[in-house]
Amino acid sequence: MKEVVFERSFDPRRCRHLLDGRTSVLHCHHYSTLYTQLADDCTMLDARGLLARVAAETFFGILSSLLRKHALETPAERLAAAERYYAFAGLGKLKILSAGPETGEAELERSHVDEGWIRKWGRRDSPVNFITQGFLAAAFAAAFDRNPLDYVVREISSIVSGADRSWFQVARG
Amino acid sequence: MAIDRKRIIDALSKVTVAGDENGLIPAFGVLVNQLPADFWNGFAQRLTHLVDPDLREAAELLLVNAAHECGYHTGYGIITSEEWKAVVAPMVEKAPEDVLHGAVAVLAAWGWANAEIVELVPGERMVVRAYDYYEADPVAYGRASRPQAFMLRGVCAAFMDLAYGGPYDPTGATGLRTFTCAQTKGIECGDPYGEFVITRAKA
Repeated sequence: MKEVVFERSFDPRRCRHLLDGRTSVLHCHHYSTLYTQLADDCTMLDARGLLARVAAETFFGILSSLLRKHALETPAERLAAAERYYAFAGLGKLKILSAGPETGEAELERSHVDEGWIRKWGRRDSPVNFITQGFLAAAFAAAFDRNPLDYVVREISSIVSGADRSWFQVARG
Repeated sequence: MAIDRKRIIDALSKVTVAGDENGLIPAFGVLVNQLPADFWNGFAQRLTHLVDPDLREAAELLLVNAAHECGYHTGYGIITSEEWKAVVAPMVEKAPEDVLHGAVAVLAAWGWANAEIVELVPGERMVVRAYDYYEADPVAYGRASRPQAFMLRGVCAAFMDLAYGGPYDPTGATGLRTFTCAQTKGIECGDPYGEFVITRAKA
């Protein structure tokens, strides 16, 4: 498996962190869970779907650059790079269990969003990890040269609801 | 004022941040993430531009409020952290004013903005200028009709809450939202810098 290294730098003139040349910012679980809560509560539009779509499109761009830069050819290499990026970004420990161009499954052993939500507000019955739903769509699309918005990702069980790990089902819609 | 902004930015921007064996970044008393600015901007911009125009201000306020609450808790985590004690605390001669200057320097080190305090009336008012900030990036052409640095608005108000809003309250029931912030200039609006005026919230 090819090793994927993330290049970080700080531009002191602009006060910007760059990760592989893109502006990257540090935020905390308060910010990510408050954005998630905002999306969850928003009655103005489908903001949950919007948050997942923005995640899918953004991370697809990141992962596509990554696989070009490191010449990652196989789905296994590409999916491993996605898992590694997810962890590097502090989003948690993601494991893609099975994957093909049409369907797949993934589990989350540790989760920034779920654990941040529990720290802040405690458990709840329904899933909140819209960011990871989008990330998985991006990972599958990058792995199989598809459009990230083609994938439907459902969170079947969730750490935020008391499960040991979150479990996601992925299908091309 | 003994706060050496450049030294703080230099030291704290180099703090190594990467997910641990669990893919988590516990630091400053919170779980940190490092995500592309495009992600945060993409959600904020599309949310505020997709809602009915009558609801745009309400959507903007939701984003400001999220940042305000985040800035309050994370700001407290920062000014009580080991990193702060090692780098910034030795420079603090006059609290809470020096703490505020230090906190704005940390804000720059986190990559939120190249910003500084240009006016501070203790307990009453602060003006922050940001010469570069990621929330201005979505406007690649022309000028936005409204300022769009929702995160900076919320965080600047939160820093004043921490300085002058009473003891830190982990529940946020008191102390939080004792100040409010108006963005009076924006790079995204064609101004040379963003300007944020923080004043006491009206009861």
